[in-house]
Amino acid sequence: MSKEREVSTASRRAFLKSAGLAAGAAGVAATAITSGSDEASATTVKSPASAGYRETDHVRKVYELSKF
Amino acid sequence: MAAAIRHLTEISEEDELRARFYGLLAALLAKPADAEMLGRLSKIEGDETDIGVGLCALSNVARATSPEAVEREFNNLFIGIGKGELVPFGSYYLTGFLNEKPLAKLRDAMEQHGISRADELHEPEDNIASVCEMMAGLITGAFGQPVSLAEQRAFFKAHVGNWAGQFFADLEAASGAVFYMPVGTIGRAFIAIEEEAFEMTA
Repeated sequence: MSKEREVSTASRRAFLKSAGLAAGAAGVAATAITSGSDEASATTVKSPASAGYRETDHVRKVYELSKF
Repeated sequence: MAAAIRHLTEISEEDELRARFYGLLAALLAKPADAEMLGRLSKIEGDETDIGVGLCALSNVARATSPEAVEREFNNLFIGIGKGELVPFGSYYLTGFLNEKPLAKLRDAMEQHGISRADELHEPEDNIASVCEMMAGLITGAFGQPVSLAEQRAFFKAHVGNWAGQFFADLEAASGAVFYMPVGTIGRAFIAIEEEAFEMTA
């Protein structure tokens, strides 16, 4: 990682902290509403890879059905 | 859960926070909040930042409303009879029509990242909830490995940042929005933060 990149990463980090993500997210965390939570997550997309296989036929079918 | 995400993917704390916000927005916009969700939301506390003020307002309205009222509002805003007050799809925001080129481009990007549409979803993938969920997954590695900031930035610029801010501003200002007004506030503020943070890595 170049020095310049390190500086921008650090300032990005500082910026995100100052923007209130941390304070707000503490509350969000307490409610267990996260992208990784089974309990209250949205399920509009999925990863075929994480299921151990790629449903390419399925994906193709979806595209076909939506006239793509 | 927080520890689990970090443990599995070793992403930084602030990236985990970003993923949480994308996850929250996706959960709030994918379907009407049920009683359990409203109970969770009512426990959220905000601070004096833009996002914190939005979270505080969301918490208050979650305490005062009912699942029935939220469902009615959700349908009026996003589904409607024929057409809701808002059309929460990227293609519509970018071209004025559904299922146009922006959707095709998103599908290309999804394929590239190993993301596919959930079986039970029967609407285009460029729905606001879906693109938020995709951003969360790219950050946490839900679709394989966490992707680099540069890749997140490219995805954000091409499929989220170019319309989501306007959508959330519209949601905040929508006449039918009560529960969803602070969702608009939080989303608008969060997208602005994301834009600015990505600029720092440019």
